[in-house]
Amino acid sequence: MILVPPGMSWPVVVLRGLLFALPCAAMALALPEVPNGLVLLLVVVAAALWARSPDHVAGAVALVLVVGWWGLRAVVDWRLVVVGVLLVVAHVTATVLAHGPGTLPVDARLARLWVGRGLLALVPMPVTYVAVRGLDPQLAPPWVWIVAGVAIVGLLVVTARLTQPEPE
Amino acid sequence: MSSWRPTPSLVRASLLALGGLAAGVVLGLEALAVLAAPFVVIAGAGLVGRPRQAIGMNTRIDHHRLHEGQGTTSRLEVDDLTGVEHVTRVAAPAAHVACRPTYGAVGSLVSEGLPTIGFSPRRWGRRSIGAERVALTSSWAGWRWGPVDMPEHGLSVLPQTAPYDSRAEVPQPDGLVGRHRSRRLGGGTEFEGIRHFATGDRLKRITWPVSLRTGELHVITTRAEQDAGVWLVVDGLRDIGVSGGVDGAASSLDLTVRAAAALAEHHVRTGDRVGLLVVAGDGARVRLGSGPRHLQKIQGTLARLRTEARSVPPERLDLGAGAGSVVYVLSPMLFTPLVTATASLQRSGASVVVIDTLGEQEEGPDRLALASLAARMQKIERDDRLRRLAAVGCPVVPWRGPGTLDTVLHQLARRARVPKVRAR
Repeated sequence: MILVPPGMSWPVVVLRGLLFALPCAAMALALPEVPNGLVLLLVVVAAALWARSPDHVAGAVALVLVVGWWGLRAVVDWRLVVVGVLLVVAHVTATVLAHGPGTLPVDARLARLWVGRGLLALVPMPVTYVAVRGLDPQLAPPWVWIVAGVAIVGLLVVTARLTQPEPE
Repeated sequence: MSSWRPTPSLVRASLLALGGLAAGVVLGLEALAVLAAPFVVIAGAGLVGRPRQAIGMNTRIDHHRLHEGQGTTSRLEVDDLTGVEHVTRVAAPAAHVACRPTYGAVGSLVSEGLPTIGFSPRRWGRRSIGAERVALTSSWAGWRWGPVDMPEHGLSVLPQTAPYDSRAEVPQPDGLVGRHRSRRLGGGTEFEGIRHFATGDRLKRITWPVSLRTGELHVITTRAEQDAGVWLVVDGLRDIGVSGGVDGAASSLDLTVRAAAALAEHHVRTGDRVGLLVVAGDGARVRLGSGPRHLQKIQGTLARLRTEARSVPPERLDLGAGAGSVVYVLSPMLFTPLVTATASLQRSGASVVVIDTLGEQEEGPDRLALASLAARMQKIERDDRLRRLAAVGCPVVPWRGPGTLDTVLHQLARRARVPKVRAR
């Protein structure tokens, strides 16, 4: 019995499967360390919902859970970069799928465009990884943290302002 | 009214970027900063790419009048595409309308041109196509306009003209133009024969070679050039069976309408005058006429035909100047009053041909089921009616496309030359 909904092409099915698998794979990378059962369950459920509807808020939940768990683990090793790549691929996949309903075939040109964008987005990650591994925060002057904090607050305000819908 | 709103993708990227950076700096979690770094790029590019203008858009279709099976294209027009990267269109499904792409969802980058949707009506009638939702996405999928509901377009779908051709003479033509040979002698140009000169004959009709050879005056006789008045009586009282459109099974009304369209086209093409009488709840009548415009009028009237459960068959068929014309009654003949009216028309002197449009109806799997029994009883009654109709001299032929009527029309044409008594 084929469970593919009517009108959904195989590339879409494969990408949706990927959307489910990637956050789970990002958590599986922690093996042999086993994450908290509740976190695992939430990630799997959120990933399943995300695969069902790429526009769903569950996608953000899945990514936040994975990022949060790996961040709180506070171990910066090669697996962190792999997790970052998996999450970016998941985000890009969801973005491509969210351009239309499930019956919309995957546009090859759009997919190629987003592959390029995904690769571009990955550029800062190894730089940050190397910086985090190579620099000692203890040696940084105190004003660096104040500037970083102010910059982030500024970014938050600007983002909040930009994402406000314009008055009609 | 719509506006540019952040997409879930942008919200997700912004959340991860800012949340990761903030938590990384505040809590000193370096791993968060590493994981958040790619999303800073995606969120930043998405935020910056916000279009500012309001978008106005509409759709139009290339054709508003088609034959079933033909296709048209729906095109999207957007007044300002500044900052727009991708357009998605999703057409709502419509009964008896096929879409290309099959499920009506199409999207493309603006740089590749705006996407189009192909529609092909699969059944005659009045169809509504083009109801769809359109969404525009900005660069880096940051902002979305819509989905906006676009209004549908009305499409008049004319019946497919089933291939039909007849070489038979139409009996009892009246009028003075057209292609069919008249059975009357008159002042035409087509040679009919040579006979002895009689008082009243025109001198220019004398054939001198024959007169000199025989020693007696002879004249040439010709056939009058006349056109046939052809009436199409279409039974729209009921629709039996399920219509699968132009590619699938045909209901009785499909057969009726397509046969009527084919006959109308054939006779108009051969120069005959054709009239149409629709027997239905909101019956319609098209006077005798000829020419392409008249054919379009007939096809348009057929395309508007609808059945109503409460409509009742008429007691008599009022064709006006119907006597002397050929009348095709296209009907599954399920109602006794319509059969009686047809027989009356036959007795009044018109050449009536009944075209049976019931078609091949499939029986249900259970022959003893109530519906199956009822259908068989109805068929027995109908066959009896058709036998009686044939007994009063009205030929009944099932519609089978090309050449369906040739034999019958030949016989009618021969019979029409025999003197007969008309009941008034």
